[in-house]
Amino acid sequence: MDGPHHTGNHLVDQDDKMTVTERTVEDSRVPEGGPWPAARPWLGTAARLGLAAVWLVAGGSKIGDLDASGRAVNAYQIFPYDVAVVIGAALPFVEIALGMILVLGLATRLAAGISTALLVIFIAGISSAWARGLSIDCGCFGTGGDLAAGQDPTYGTEILRDLGFLVLAGFLLVWPRTPYSVDAALGRGLDDDEPPALEEAQPR
Amino acid sequence: MTDRKSRRRPTRPGESRPGRAGESRGGRPGESRAGRADSRAARVIREQRARERRRRRALWTSIGAVVVLVAAGLIGWGVTAARNAGDFTPPDGANPEGTGIVVGSGPVTIDIYEDFLCPFCKQFEQQASGTLDQLIAQGRVRVTYHPVAFLNRFSSTDYSTRSSAASGCAAQSGKFREYARALFDRQPPEGGAGLSDDELVEIAVGVGLSGDSFRNCVRENTFKKWTDHVTEEASRAGITGTPTVLVNGKQVQASAEAITAAVTAAGG
Repeated sequence: MDGPHHTGNHLVDQDDKMTVTERTVEDSRVPEGGPWPAARPWLGTAARLGLAAVWLVAGGSKIGDLDASGRAVNAYQIFPYDVAVVIGAALPFVEIALGMILVLGLATRLAAGISTALLVIFIAGISSAWARGLSIDCGCFGTGGDLAAGQDPTYGTEILRDLGFLVLAGFLLVWPRTPYSVDAALGRGLDDDEPPALEEAQPR
Repeated sequence: MTDRKSRRRPTRPGESRPGRAGESRGGRPGESRAGRADSRAARVIREQRARERRRRRALWTSIGAVVVLVAAGLIGWGVTAARNAGDFTPPDGANPEGTGIVVGSGPVTIDIYEDFLCPFCKQFEQQASGTLDQLIAQGRVRVTYHPVAFLNRFSSTDYSTRSSAASGCAAQSGKFREYARALFDRQPPEGGAGLSDDELVEIAVGVGLSGDSFRNCVRENTFKKWTDHVTEEASRAGITGTPTVLVNGKQVQASAEAITAAVTAAGG
């Protein structure tokens, strides 16, 4: 914009246009210009807390019986037993930690990315069990392993539910900045409009 | 670097941009070009610093989050590893691998995996135990009962483990089958507290076992490690639900008819 044609009022005019576009896309704290930018940060907080609740409930339902969690992983018949046991033992703790990180809103984009990866793995696992004709409970929220005779698996519902969770994670992946988060608290004071160093701020 | 790229948050109307007074907005009519360039340079430097700070902050929060997740996973691993360590003592009557209690000595082997809290196992017992006892008495089969603890989650007191360990106490006194059948007869509902240790002892006395030694066996968790071993080895063998019945190593439907047919087919 240093070109000679960008001068005077023309530049101010450009500035004002930028004000509008950048607010709608980037600034989560001062929403202006319609219901979407006003609602988006709060939808983000809702998505963050919702996803956190999913992980906390999922982990909490498994953490009381780590052996069962290992057996639920083993029931997919994807990993050797000893590997399944380690995954089954570690997973509930990771899920709860992920839930707590999301509650705090720390490194939200990363947490959303890890959530997405986990959910994609879960969906792949359920699809694979479905494709191989296994008759198991996904073990997503506690129970797991073989279904009793006469019980039908509910793979479709389980996958749809995980896809719903994936939407929450995807929202946070795109718009990770949400109110009431550690990220937002840390970000305050680090943005460009932070008061500059003292000597710069002194009027001449 | 152009203005558009370097400026992340534009000045709001009515708010003065930090910087030297009177130069907060470039391009104001009447300002000198040199002054504008000066202010712009200062702002570019400021914004570069802010970007650097943002990058550092994102890096450190990400590292922090990853460390927390990895630590959580390692804790889970450590908890199970620590809990599953240690030797077990199988009760008398157990097979050499210590994974179940052997009844009978016929040529055809049957493996039965049951959890004392599992309602379908109770149904199976009621439907098939007469047939099994008959096959055993005729010397046609050798049955290995694996009292696994798959359903601890469905009681508030780990009833699956406690009842299986108690069945080990009964096996030690040679009355595994009698005790197991009595446990299924008195099966508590899923989702409750299960039977108390006193009730487990009372059932033992009911099938003719000595109350005092049984009480000690239950109280000292004598066969809890054995139950853990039975359960783990069942999972390792690919058993993921109860009841599961294998005839000569091949899974059959958990019913008297299917078992009889399979035993006959195997020449037993």
